[in-house]
Amino acid sequence: MLPKMDSGKEVLLLKKALDRQKKARAQAEKILEEKAKELYDVTHHLKESNARLEALLSEKTSELDGVFVNIVDPYVVMDLKFNIIKMNASAKEFLGYDSEKEAINLSTIVHPEYMEYTAESIQSLMEVGVLKNYQAKIIIKDKTEKYIQINSSLIYDKNRKPIAAQGIIRDITQETEIKHLLAEQKKELDIIVENSPLGIVLTVNNKIVKSNRTFKTLIGYSDFELKKLKLDDISSPEDIEKSKELINQMNTGELDQFSIIKKYTRKDNGILWAKTSVNAFKNSKGKVEYKVVMIEDITKELEAEEQLKESENRLATLISNLQTGVLLEDENRKISLTNKRFCSMFNISASPQQLNGVDCSDAAEQNKIFFKNPEAFVTRIGEILKERKLVSSDELEMIDGRILERDYIPIFNNKIYKGHLWTYQDITVRKNFRKNLFAEKEKYSSIIANMNLGLLEVDTNDTIQMANQSFCKMSGFSQDELLGTKAREILRVRELDLIEKQDRIRSKGDSDSYEVKVLNKSGEKKHWLISGAPRYDEGGILIGSIGIHLDITTQKKLEVQKGLLLKELENSNKGLQEYAHIVSHDLKSPLRSISALATWLYEDYKDVLDENGVTQLGLMQEKVEAMDNLIVGILNYSTVSSDTIQNTKVDVNMVIKEITDIIFIPDHVEVKIVKKLPTIFADKIKVHQVFQNFMSNAVVHIENEIGLVNIDYIETKTHWQFSIEDNGVGIPKEYHEKIFKIFQSVGNKERSTGIGLSIVKKIIDLYEGEVWLESTPGEGTTFYFTIKK
Amino acid sequence: MKGIVFTEFLEMVEASFGLETTDNMIVNSNVPSEGIYTSVGTYDFNEMVSLITCLSEEVKIPANDLIYTFGLYLFGSLGKAHPEVIQSYNSPLALLYSIEDHIHVHVQKLYPEAELPTFKILEKTDTSISMVYSSSRGLYRLAHGLIEKCFEHFNGSATIAYELLKEDGTEVKFDVTQNG
Repeated sequence: MLPKMDSGKEVLLLKKALDRQKKARAQAEKILEEKAKELYDVTHHLKESNARLEALLSEKTSELDGVFVNIVDPYVVMDLKFNIIKMNASAKEFLGYDSEKEAINLSTIVHPEYMEYTAESIQSLMEVGVLKNYQAKIIIKDKTEKYIQINSSLIYDKNRKPIAAQGIIRDITQETEIKHLLAEQKKELDIIVENSPLGIVLTVNNKIVKSNRTFKTLIGYSDFELKKLKLDDISSPEDIEKSKELINQMNTGELDQFSIIKKYTRKDNGILWAKTSVNAFKNSKGKVEYKVVMIEDITKELEAEEQLKESENRLATLISNLQTGVLLEDENRKISLTNKRFCSMFNISASPQQLNGVDCSDAAEQNKIFFKNPEAFVTRIGEILKERKLVSSDELEMIDGRILERDYIPIFNNKIYKGHLWTYQDITVRKNFRKNLFAEKEKYSSIIANMNLGLLEVDTNDTIQMANQSFCKMSGFSQDELLGTKAREILRVRELDLIEKQDRIRSKGDSDSYEVKVLNKSGEKKHWLISGAPRYDEGGILIGSIGIHLDITTQKKLEVQKGLLLKELENSNKGLQEYAHIVSHDLKSPLRSISALATWLYEDYKDVLDENGVTQLGLMQEKVEAMDNLIVGILNYSTVSSDTIQNTKVDVNMVIKEITDIIFIPDHVEVKIVKKLPTIFADKIKVHQVFQNFMSNAVVHIENEIGLVNIDYIETKTHWQFSIEDNGVGIPKEYHEKIFKIFQSVGNKERSTGIGLSIVKKIIDLYEGEVWLESTPGEGTTFYFTIKK
Repeated sequence: MKGIVFTEFLEMVEASFGLETTDNMIVNSNVPSEGIYTSVGTYDFNEMVSLITCLSEEVKIPANDLIYTFGLYLFGSLGKAHPEVIQSYNSPLALLYSIEDHIHVHVQKLYPEAELPTFKILEKTDTSISMVYSSSRGLYRLAHGLIEKCFEHFNGSATIAYELLKEDGTEVKFDVTQNG
């Protein structure tokens, strides 16, 4: 709350406050007046400054004008319609026009070819305000053409509106001409470089900067690919070290140029052998700026060189291994070349290489001791060397028995004597060969003359050329009687057809053997076996034949006798068979009568006969039956022969089935086929006979409670092998062979005739098989037999 | 010191304590200007010190509290004089944050000779600001009042803590946390 005041005081206070407010207003007004004065002063000062600056500006402008007028290069100011407003003395001189004397429009002096470019340039000047390096051709007053370059800028008025353009003209006619000339020269150079047969590459720091077409063709890369490659990238790794060293020397200034032969890897991974020359180009400071690499493809040259080397090597190898001793001397009689053979011929321990360069002047004198006739040897060499003419096949006998053949070949090059070649050949063997041949002939001649076989040589007309002693003896003719006559006539050969046929065979070059009947001198008939072969001369032309004759008359006679004997044997065999047949038949009928009589006797008198009598009658019947079986067996045995075999396909399983149906098998015995038996090619009846014999033997000889007969087989390359196994009484060892012989049986069973297994054996023999057995008495027996397929 | 501060101070004293107290203060302080101030003028700061000292004796209120109260009053006066300045902010923290970089820059344009305090921002979050007031005048309580009124203007309030970094109050740290 404000304290209460009386109104008098309040008015006083208000008056005081009002007074303060008035004074404050006056103060404020004074302040504002001062501020206004200050503003005026500032404005005035600014105006003054402005006027000063404008004056300064115009002064500078005129100063600049002076500069342009006095400028060395032509200077021109034109309005926006290309009319020249102002130009300096230099411009007047250059263009030939004076704007003060005549109106010039710059557009009229621009060469027509540059009109479009000029229009574009002006456009750009208007937009940007400046134009740099405008280059064009103009036609000056005296009608000559000039190349100019103009740097130009726009001139604006106070409102920044362009009113004119100013430009400095540079005469670049000469410059341009030089440029053209340079371009022309560069083009020429480029053509040379591009068409150079050498690959040319410009490198900077090993990088490929530029390369010509030949290089690209050689290396297979395109320009674009090469830009990314270093020279090392396409150099073969083994060469890089070497090139690096050289490059380093080049970089340090030791080398300005070098050339090496190195390999490059083509884009297709092929190898390019190239002679590479590198030249360094230095800048003004002596630093290597770039290198020019020239690459010459020498792949082919290298290949040719390789081939040459190879062929030289081959030749060298050939010479060194030649069977002829070679000695090549130069014109100073120094050894240029010898070979191993030469060294070994003359027992020289040094190698052919070591002999190179050795002087041969004394060689003849030193070596003469090796020859049988040393003085002649030395003299002859002297002669030859003096003559210098080709000498061939001089024979030299050496003390160790060898014979050498010597050739001398002088060597001339452009008619200048360059040395000579000695060649030596060991002809000892060749020489001895003739001697040996003669000795051989002597040897064989004596064999031929003394052998027991008759030898006859005839020509193609069958005229006898030669006959040996044995032949003379065989035929009864002397050699004189035989020579020159026709063989078949003198020997009175019967089989002329055969002889002619053999002659034809022989004329084709084949050898042959045949038999003929001839008559000897005394007219006796003889059988001869002849082996014949064609005869040829050295040229391989058939000139006749040679025959070896063996007298086989005795053998022939024996053969005829043997044939007769066989026939007789056959007849007697047949008779014997028929006899067996008749005998057995004749024997059987009385037996049947005895059997019938015994039966009747038993039936009629069985009531009166005592027991003993009945038994004896029974025994009689049995013996008769045994006798009958024996006779049947003999009959069967005698009929087994190859004549009666009729082979067909036989299923053995079926045969076994038939047998088990026919024969008596005791109840306790089981016959088992182990695995399915084969079908074989044989006579069914014989097969039946064999199996029935074994099986009936097996089933009857089993005393075990359970009898087992197993039939099995195995197949070998040539035979079928069957087995019949039983668990019967077994057969003692001593009977194993006996049982296959006729009339032999084990034990004394009345029913066995002892003939069955011998029939089996006979049949198996017919089929080229074998039969055997394995047996343990009391445990069982296994019979094996084989039949040829 | 700007004339507006004196004119507004006298306005506040007159409004709060009446003409008599105002007159007594002017007479007793014996200031060279005799209490005549115009807002476009500039006056010696010591006059303000004398006026406040005399008022404090007259009304028995500590000088700092008076300065604080003046701060509260001054914000409204300044707002009236330059409403566009305050309108360009949508929160009291944004305004405080911009004193140095924005408001004082504009003040300097109008009154190039003005000697303004500095506010160095130490930290600012969405809801708080921490700054150091620094002025040879030591009128930190005036700043206190202005800050508080600023929040009121935006219909908010704040907890304002200050710590004298220098005993004479020429450097004071303010921690202002917006309430709610």
